[in-house]
Amino acid sequence: MSSKLMFYILKRVLLAILTIWIVITVTFFIMHAVPGGPFVGEKAISKEAQAALEAKYGLDKPLFEQYTTYLRDILTKFDFGPSLKQRGRQVIDIIMDGMKTSAKLGLIAAGLAAVFGIVLGAVAAIRRNTILDKTIMVITTAFVSMPSFIMGSFLLIIFSVSLKWLPANGAMKGGLVLPVITLMLYPMSYITRLTRSSMLDVLGQDYIRTARAKGVSKWRIIFGHALKNSLIPVITYFGPMLAFIVTGSMVVEQIFAVPGIGRQFVSSITNRDYTMIMGTTIFLASLIVIMNLVSDLLYKAVDPRIEFE
Amino acid sequence: MKKLFALMLAVMMMLSCVAVTNAEAAKTSLNVCIASEPDTIDPALNSAVDGATLIIHLFSGLSKWSQDANGGLQIVPDLATELPLPVINEDGTATYTYTLVDGLKWSDGKDLTAKDFEFAWKRAASSALGADYGYMFEVVKGYPDELAVEATDDKTLVVTLNNDVSYWNELLSFPTFLPVREDVVSNEAWATDPATYVSNGAYTMTAWEHNSYITLTKNPNYFKADEITMDEINFYLSDDENNMLANYQNGDWAMIDNVPNAEIDALKAQYPTEFFVGSQMGTYYVSWNVNAEILPEGCELTGDDAEKARAEIRFALGLLFDRNYIVTEIGKAGQQPASSFVALGLTDADGAKQFYEVAGPSDEYAGYWNVSADAYEANWDTAIETLKKYYTYDEAAGKFTNFPTIEYLYNTNDGHKLIGEYLQSVFAGVGINMNLVNQEWNTFLNTRKNGDYTVARNGWLADYNDPISFLDMWVSNSGNNDSQFGKGANAEAKIYSIDLTPYGVDVKVENGTWAETYDAAIAAIKACGDKEARYGMMHAAEDLLMSTGANPAVLLHGHLHDLRERAGLLREPAGLQVLHVLHRRPVS
Repeated sequence: MSSKLMFYILKRVLLAILTIWIVITVTFFIMHAVPGGPFVGEKAISKEAQAALEAKYGLDKPLFEQYTTYLRDILTKFDFGPSLKQRGRQVIDIIMDGMKTSAKLGLIAAGLAAVFGIVLGAVAAIRRNTILDKTIMVITTAFVSMPSFIMGSFLLIIFSVSLKWLPANGAMKGGLVLPVITLMLYPMSYITRLTRSSMLDVLGQDYIRTARAKGVSKWRIIFGHALKNSLIPVITYFGPMLAFIVTGSMVVEQIFAVPGIGRQFVSSITNRDYTMIMGTTIFLASLIVIMNLVSDLLYKAVDPRIEFE
Repeated sequence: MKKLFALMLAVMMMLSCVAVTNAEAAKTSLNVCIASEPDTIDPALNSAVDGATLIIHLFSGLSKWSQDANGGLQIVPDLATELPLPVINEDGTATYTYTLVDGLKWSDGKDLTAKDFEFAWKRAASSALGADYGYMFEVVKGYPDELAVEATDDKTLVVTLNNDVSYWNELLSFPTFLPVREDVVSNEAWATDPATYVSNGAYTMTAWEHNSYITLTKNPNYFKADEITMDEINFYLSDDENNMLANYQNGDWAMIDNVPNAEIDALKAQYPTEFFVGSQMGTYYVSWNVNAEILPEGCELTGDDAEKARAEIRFALGLLFDRNYIVTEIGKAGQQPASSFVALGLTDADGAKQFYEVAGPSDEYAGYWNVSADAYEANWDTAIETLKKYYTYDEAAGKFTNFPTIEYLYNTNDGHKLIGEYLQSVFAGVGINMNLVNQEWNTFLNTRKNGDYTVARNGWLADYNDPISFLDMWVSNSGNNDSQFGKGANAEAKIYSIDLTPYGVDVKVENGTWAETYDAAIAAIKACGDKEARYGMMHAAEDLLMSTGANPAVLLHGHLHDLRERAGLLREPAGLQVLHVLHRRPVS
């Protein structure tokens, strides 16, 4: 590995740490500025009980002290604290529980989206302006424009309620099939379209023409030269997409009642479960930052011409 | 607590499940869904209906709800051999002595003793634990931290209350009063993992996939294990009503506890025998902030006169609402129009009549205004006449011209929004401009509690059948006093009157403050052991509360009689569902 690359990675990692620290700080203070609190309910608890709970979780301390304690616990002990709402559970356990499902769901969906997207895109490009190309384009345009809550509800009604082939609930056996399909359709279609246009661009390049003129076989041209070089925009898209999809699509998790991290994130905010809000925010922010870094590094692997500054 | 308060959606449906043909050998099991992941299933910490439903399958207490031959609900002894009357001590306190039945065991096989109850109660009440429902022990002497409860031996539990409490036996069935064992709960995470969860009821928890499902399996150590017919219950954890409905419709789940509001009419038609409208002892209402100005600009009234005028205006505004319309066109779930604050389902002193039937000034109708459809026009006219005293009325247009613009606050939810829009349209019809403001749940609670509003959506659900559960929330220092009685400017207002001398209590105040009248009445009610006098005073307190016009109840919920045909399913007054004796019936 060149020293230039090492320096680049180091710079990006430091930048990532700075980004996450900013996210932590901003979230922490905004969260406490929002009205309400974790122990507020429709039926009020007594002032003594409220005070006892606040003391137990350190919420009676000055805000800045809470902030420094929180940072210290994360840095020294990797301790995200207990959930304030789900009594007796640790934030890190809840996140890991949610991630188990979200990651499984997301990785399968992202993997399938990439495979089908690239294949369909390549096919469409090679068979440009045929019926096949037009069909693929029409279908993917439809999938890209259809919001996932409509697609999800649609699949739910057809395959679960009417045909009774698949369960409607993500916690049941086979329950992840429909959410995976719902989740993969958008990125798959997007990748199809990216691959197609990028590939058409590449196929028109001089070096492809040269290869053709030299009599290189059609498939060799496609797989050896064109496809690889068409993937740069796909990779740009794939990194953040993976982070997004793996960290839980809140809409899809809601429709299919999938026990993922997305729903935890939303409910922690509603509940003012401070430690959960912080934990999920840090986790999601880190994941997105890392995925962006990885996808930037992948450019290099695909296209050695790219220089890091 | 939000689950507890989804009053609008208190609808439940169940299916006469899939046939089990090989009846003898097969293990019976049931998939149901009542709500999403419970915040806790620690009996002391829980305060939500869904958590309570799980808990009453897992634990047994001194008493429980039971259905008699006619389907009526009553409290019967459970782990106690009987529910004895108290011994009234010289200082007016009441001592109850309970004997536990023989051979009680925890699910891990250890013996259950009266000491476990003593420990559990002291823990639940303590301010250190900070349980939402810790206040349920306030009737016990020494609450919160010196609770007068003692296990005199392994089988005898002695508890002393401040005075005889008529609903005490009912409280004993409540999750907060269930026993837990000291060595079990010393692990703070005990209630989150089947491996550390030790219970004493019909079921034990054998699996908890967080946010997915909780599996309860019949507890062989339960003292009445031979009466339990359902071997296993899977509680799926979901709160998306559309998803719940899909699971019900495709046959995966046998019962769901909530359906999308928009689907109610269609589902009633599609599932005429399976669709049940449940009930809760709850009131959905609109609460005014008594300190918010609603008098017109330039009004000459000041001080107590202005306070009195505001009360009269608020009451009149409440008469403009057509509660029958709200119930039939918006609620659609069997709610009943309301005319009092204490809800349907709470009984009066004799235990037979409803409290609300006896409430109010008139012999002709129950409550504080007539909610029959024929009376609506007359109510409207009365309201307009009252409002004319304070506001300029344009006779030709039929509108008031100088009512200040007000804001209606509700938490973001379609049902609440629909009701808000209805109220808005009614006010617009008489020239009152009301803007709708919605806030996210936690912010909303905070705004309402702090009194930073003029008029807001509100709801209350009783946990036990005693009207005090609807009345003591309005004392000046109560955390639930959203109307801000006795706070701010209202604390100084000397406009309230109450006379409790007919009930043998030396409280007679004319034109006093809220603290001198209402707070004093609630204190007298809590100290009173005589049932007749107590109920008399509770009616007097509600009369005073309703005279403020601050809480024009909008809806009430239905009573429990819908459920008596249902084999084995018992729905407790607070909305809990007992499934463990449910039999699967063949589909015909």
